[in-house]
Amino acid sequence: MSWQPTLAHYLILAAGTFSIGLIGVMVRRNALILFMCIELMLNSVNLTFITFSQYRVDLDGQIFGFIVMAVAAAEAAVGLAIVLHIFRQNRSVNVDEVTELQQ
Amino acid sequence: MGVWEPLFFWLFAVGAVATSVGVLFIKNPLYAALSLIGDFLCFAGLYVLLSAHFLAVTQVLVYTGAIMILFVFIIMLLNLNEQELGERQFRLHHILAYLTAGIVFALAVSAIAPLVDQQQVATERQRVQQQAQNADGDEASEGFRVESPVPGLYAAVNEPAINRDFRAQIQSWEDGTATPADEKYRTYDPDRSFEVPPVLRASEAQAQGGTSSMFGTVEPISILLVNRFVVPFELIAVLLLAAIFGAVVIAKKRL
Repeated sequence: MSWQPTLAHYLILAAGTFSIGLIGVMVRRNALILFMCIELMLNSVNLTFITFSQYRVDLDGQIFGFIVMAVAAAEAAVGLAIVLHIFRQNRSVNVDEVTELQQ
Repeated sequence: MGVWEPLFFWLFAVGAVATSVGVLFIKNPLYAALSLIGDFLCFAGLYVLLSAHFLAVTQVLVYTGAIMILFVFIIMLLNLNEQELGERQFRLHHILAYLTAGIVFALAVSAIAPLVDQQQVATERQRVQQQAQNADGDEASEGFRVESPVPGLYAAVNEPAINRDFRAQIQSWEDGTATPADEKYRTYDPDRSFEVPPVLRASEAQAQGGTSSMFGTVEPISILLVNRFVVPFELIAVLLLAAIFGAVVIAKKRL
């Protein structure tokens, strides 16, 4: 394995950061950090898209990355509004304490 | 190629992994957000290495410039104390979480790993070529057979022989006489030279880099966005409008 980055290097890096984001979503209980980890996973997927886009010399992957970014922006806006609302109701952003729908 | 590409790749890759682990373990959400900003900047650097210049700029503007500012605003607005953060004591399901993520990573690596082994890639290519040649001799009956990697997972596909034009096209991509991007972007002139500023002009080969020098810049992406991808582009506009309304309605104290 040489130092020269190849397709596999980028893909394994993307898989690694995706897994780290996945651990974060499952382990952290702070809603804000949960959202950050979701953004991290979206970014890793974007990196995979762009890597394949460069590998195949095809711009479609970059267009998809652009769309993913726009969706992430929309998701962050709505998600943070929900976090704000939850904090007003519970005085906490711990997602384990959000159990209204269970009752 | 040269020495700079690996250097910057490893710099950004190590930076990205380190800051991701930071987001995972830092308790204070403000420091976690700062770590995530560093992570996004590292990703922007990787996008530049992948000649996705427009997306790298968009990454810095949209992610670190807009989304993370929103995060930091919310964190400062809530002004959480120690108890409101949500305690993070170790629980049994954390082991399961690490295990699941490890399995996901292992599956991904096992899918990617054959790409690392250049020898295997070469033999695989030879095998496919051999099969294609066999199909040539016995066009109708033999065909192009794709075996299932896991026995019994799905039926072996016996497609009809690939047509000659397609193989010739693949061959021309391999030889370098043509690229997959040919005839795809008719609306912009591929012969038009792209002026690289003198400082950035490292070498002719590096500027080309196997791809068109315009690849990933604003012009081809904008042409694609308003031609082939005009419907998703407009849908993004609708989605963002809906998100604005949704955020205002949800965050408002009472309507």
